[in-house]
Amino acid sequence: MNEIIESFQEVNWPLIAPILILSLVLMIVALIDCIKHDKTNGPQWIWILVIVFVNFFGPILYFLFGRRND
Amino acid sequence: MRSQWIILFKKEFRESIRNFKWLWIPTVFVLLGLMQPITSYYIADILEQFGGLPEGTVMELPPPSGAEVLTGTLGQFSQIGFLVLVLAFMGTVVTEKNQGTLIMVLVKPVSYVNYLTAKWVHLLILSLTSFVLGFVMSVYYTFLLIDTIPISQVVNGALVYALWITFVMTIVLCLSALLNSTAFVAFATLGTAILFSIFSLYAPDLMKGTPGMLATYSQQFFYLGEVESGFWISIFVTLGLILAMMIATIFLFNKKEFAKDVQ
Amino acid sequence: MHLIETIGLTKKFNGTVAVKGINLSIREGICTALLGPNGAGKTTTLNMLTGLMNPTEGSIDFHEDYSGDRRKYLGYLPQYPKFFGWMSGLEYVVFAAELAGLSKEAAKSRAKEMLELVGLAEGGNKKVSGFSGGMKQRLGIAQALVHEPKLIILDEPVSALDPIGRREVLELMKQLKTRTSILFSTHVLHDAEEVSDDIFIMKKGEIVVEGSLVKLQNTYQQPTFFIETEMEMANWLETIKQKEWLRHVKVDKNKATLTVENLQTARTELLSDKTLQELKLIKFEVAKTSLEDLFMKVMK
Ligand SMILES: Nc1ncnc2c1ncn2[C@@H]1O[C@H](COP(=O)(O)OP(=O)(O)O)[C@@H](O)[C@H]1O
Ligand SMILES: [Mg+2]
Repeated sequence: MNEIIESFQEVNWPLIAPILILSLVLMIVALIDCIKHDKTNGPQWIWILVIVFVNFFGPILYFLFGRRND
Repeated sequence: MRSQWIILFKKEFRESIRNFKWLWIPTVFVLLGLMQPITSYYIADILEQFGGLPEGTVMELPPPSGAEVLTGTLGQFSQIGFLVLVLAFMGTVVTEKNQGTLIMVLVKPVSYVNYLTAKWVHLLILSLTSFVLGFVMSVYYTFLLIDTIPISQVVNGALVYALWITFVMTIVLCLSALLNSTAFVAFATLGTAILFSIFSLYAPDLMKGTPGMLATYSQQFFYLGEVESGFWISIFVTLGLILAMMIATIFLFNKKEFAKDVQ
Repeated sequence: MHLIETIGLTKKFNGTVAVKGINLSIREGICTALLGPNGAGKTTTLNMLTGLMNPTEGSIDFHEDYSGDRRKYLGYLPQYPKFFGWMSGLEYVVFAAELAGLSKEAAKSRAKEMLELVGLAEGGNKKVSGFSGGMKQRLGIAQALVHEPKLIILDEPVSALDPIGRREVLELMKQLKTRTSILFSTHVLHDAEEVSDDIFIMKKGEIVVEGSLVKLQNTYQQPTFFIETEMEMANWLETIKQKEWLRHVKVDKNKATLTVENLQTARTELLSDKTLQELKLIKFEVAKTSLEDLFMKVMK
């Protein structure tokens, strides 16, 4: 167990920073788009929750299915 | 009319900028590309620490090779990546047809060839750009963290995979032009891609010379730097199929009647 | 000169015949109405003219001066126009103009001019997804007109609008008559009477009545006189009973309604009738029944 914790402490943050930043970008863009639109497919507040709490796949699901195209 | 083609292409491009497809799809591919080498690296790291403790324990899992990680990346692209691309573009023609915007375009002196090829080229540029960005990141991190392999092998493998993407995306466009429901388009495209992959995996001899072997060939480039016989047949068959699908679709599209009351 | 002539134009949808061998000739420079109830085959006919549907039988000939792809010379507004909602009004009209072959600059200036014409100069920068029904209809007219077509085809341009929107679009159509030829469909007789010069009445896929509005009115409308006098008219009416221009009389003491064959003769004779003058005229009104009677008869 200690080893795992140690290895987590040794996480090379500069290495995984791009992943965190891009995930954040994805989330923020989806969030802004969702809030800006009056209408989404399905309730807007559910989409907001999905975007914020479902990492990586949340924003993708929103763009694919939640977004109204007109 | 070349200029009309540009107008239609620009419309596709602007549309995908406005609905953020040009932002989020490349981002998804880059994330997929990053995750594979980085998780591989940490798994190797953790295993090493575990394996390192008891003296003389034999490591059951050797650390992955560079080729393995790149193959894994393409595996991610083939699953999540394709799913995203197909779902994002299944409606490219169908939706315009069903919503009624299509007749407003086709009632102008618009060539059906221009209309379809503008969409096709845009679709390919977006898909291939996303693939290249994602794959370049994956290669960079793989070389940095895991292992390097000759760059020519990487490039060859990527080119072959790009042709596989082109083939699948051509199916999306053609079915979107010919079918009447987005769900059918996605189902049929993904079904075809999955069938090709499964048969190529379990019955490679049967699938020799088909597009289904392309992903296998790109792996062979990563691992060995050379491919087995039948490679060039696959390439030409795929190119031929792409051309044939486009010609057939344009021909059938020309005969279709799009007018319908959309309320 | 005829802009479009169709001969035996027919459209079948798996067995059911929507349009039955109709012969249309659309004259240049005027407004033509295709009038008929729902399901008469108006939309199908217009779709064949624009090329969005292929005729099952029959031919469509366009004026020989305008050769090549017919769509170059046509502007079309479908019954339910649909636009790319992510574009602004201006962007859409520019897009439509460029598709029709206008250069970038020409497209832009024409698009602005058209938006001004249809009264959307303000809304041009708004996203189409936020447009009201009336705005969409006007945007649809702007995009149909933008490449200066020889003929614009409007499918039920006012049917979906509220009375105000309807008024606006009808006025706009009157204005457009000076720019281009118009062919529009409607199921409302009044719309056809108000703006069109030629009328084709369609029913169950066939043309049942056709001709210029004036001719139809002369043929089918009956000129009517409403006469009111201070004294009773019964005796005087006996004196005109034999006139050949008189068709029908209805009398109520000092009020009479006369339906006549020939407006001119009737008016001249009535106004110079000494006996009538002695009855002391209060009211002398000439009116025309609308084509309603004809329309109702045809539609039965
Ligand atoms: N795409 C189609 N498939 C089958 N039947 C159709 C189609 N379009 C129209 N019809 C039929 O053709 C007839 C004429 O329709 P339409 O031209 O839309 O009439 P209108 O525009 O005068 O209301 C109707 O009975 C309609 O049901
Ligand atoms: Mg109709």
